[in-house]
Amino acid sequence: MRSRALKLLVSAAIILHLAAVIVPPLAGPPPASRLANAVMQPLRPYVGLLYLGHGYRFFAPDPGPGHSIEYVVTRPDGSTVAGRIPDARNDRPRLAYHRRFMVSEKIAAQVPPPDAPREVRDEARRNWGPLVKGVARRLLDDHGGEQVQLTLVQHFLPGPEEVLAGSVEPDNRSPLGSYARATAVGKSVAAAAAAAEGLQAAEDVESIAPGEIAP
Amino acid sequence: MSSVPRSPSRSISGAFFGWCRAWVDAWDRFFFTPSGPRHLAAIRIATGVLCTWSCLVWLMDVEGFFGDAGWLRADEVWRMNDQPWQWSWYFVTTSPELRLAAAIVALIAAIALTIGLATPVAAWFSLGALVSAANRAPLNIFGFDDILGILLISLAIGPAGRAWSLDNRLFARGLRGQGGAGRGETGEERSIRGTIAIRILQLTLCVIYFFSGCGKLLGPSWWEGTALWGSVANGQYRTLDLTWMADHTWLVNLITLSTLFWEVSYAAIVWPRLTRPIALAMAVFVHLGIGLAMGMMEFGLAMIVANMAFAGPLFSDETRSRPAAER
Repeated sequence: MRSRALKLLVSAAIILHLAAVIVPPLAGPPPASRLANAVMQPLRPYVGLLYLGHGYRFFAPDPGPGHSIEYVVTRPDGSTVAGRIPDARNDRPRLAYHRRFMVSEKIAAQVPPPDAPREVRDEARRNWGPLVKGVARRLLDDHGGEQVQLTLVQHFLPGPEEVLAGSVEPDNRSPLGSYARATAVGKSVAAAAAAAEGLQAAEDVESIAPGEIAP
Repeated sequence: MSSVPRSPSRSISGAFFGWCRAWVDAWDRFFFTPSGPRHLAAIRIATGVLCTWSCLVWLMDVEGFFGDAGWLRADEVWRMNDQPWQWSWYFVTTSPELRLAAAIVALIAAIALTIGLATPVAAWFSLGALVSAANRAPLNIFGFDDILGILLISLAIGPAGRAWSLDNRLFARGLRGQGGAGRGETGEERSIRGTIAIRILQLTLCVIYFFSGCGKLLGPSWWEGTALWGSVANGQYRTLDLTWMADHTWLVNLITLSTLFWEVSYAAIVWPRLTRPIALAMAVFVHLGIGLAMGMMEFGLAMIVANMAFAGPLFSDETRSRPAAER
């Protein structure tokens, strides 16, 4: 290297980069120390710039059950389309399947179990609600639907003994609500209620506010 | 003649400064010893192929991933990443046509990176495209994208197009045309930038495995040796039915514990020549296994490509340039 000063400069850049590689997994996901989070603050611009903010907790702390989102889209003519995200049969190639699989996994990570306290569920809903609305909007656009009913499915993860015994337990289902285009809600509350049949209450029937749906 | 004995404090300070000097020398050898270009070129080609494939899959549903009516609207992205630092050029592409054009540019950059055409520009564009896609579509990304980003950073830093590239062929032909190079000369120069790129990739990989291993230590199933089963029995991941392992608990324990031990100790065993083949062979086994059995072949291959950072001796021009300490 041409000069000592240049070497020092490059060394400083290397140290900065390595700090931006090491600190993010220390700072998150939880549990993480306050020290790591404090050190992370000045690094955020660089970490964000180069997309280095990873936790690297692959299959940790424990590999858990898989999730999918089941949907029933109701079209204006009353016909319905049912499906799930992801769909191993139709989501090809496999990389596309994983990109859709992540939608259900990342939403599932924010949805507390149905038996969680009401306050916890309400707080969590403020985070996952907008994400689920995006999924609803996407499905309504894809299928030309007027309403969509979404259910989060946590698939049964059998233990070795259960596989050997051939026993299968049902999947856990959590309603994510029914969503309708704002115009559809105004037009027919009865239709929305029918679409939400089986769900807890009318509060699960949500509308996407006017102007939120792309033309 | 009797020598004057040194005071203990001077001895300690002398030893300390000697130790610091040794660190500086080691740092100098580690990062600033020039190396040949073929090692990085091999990583470039493999990364370019994966990046091209990833761009093609993004292109299959540009509006779904990056559009206003996609899985996640641009104004909701802050819920999943660190705004405003996690930038994306898809935040400023305001029409479907612009988004499509941006995705096509990303594909062209990935192809150019693979064949080594305008390599430095292609590498930076590919990195920009990867970061833009990941930051705009955080609901749709996973470990594959993280590792692709790590690989592209090294390719952007180093002279990845100095070997096995169109750039190199055109450069050598140009030199011959001007009478500046003899037949057979390739323009494959050794460089410090290439060493820095490889070293950063190696160190990043050690960090990844260290934290991945430490994260697993938080989970009882890894200590119990049953974590592998959690992956085998998960129908959403499964592409190869390995549930016959239900009757082979010890095998599940062995693979789980081997994986855990390998990840936690990777940063220690991958540097010595004696244990490096074990670390790399295990990497191929684990990542191919993930690819074949869990359907995440792209992620598995990206990790194997990253492990190529430690396979320098496979590329002939590296033997002379490796620091003595590593040899």
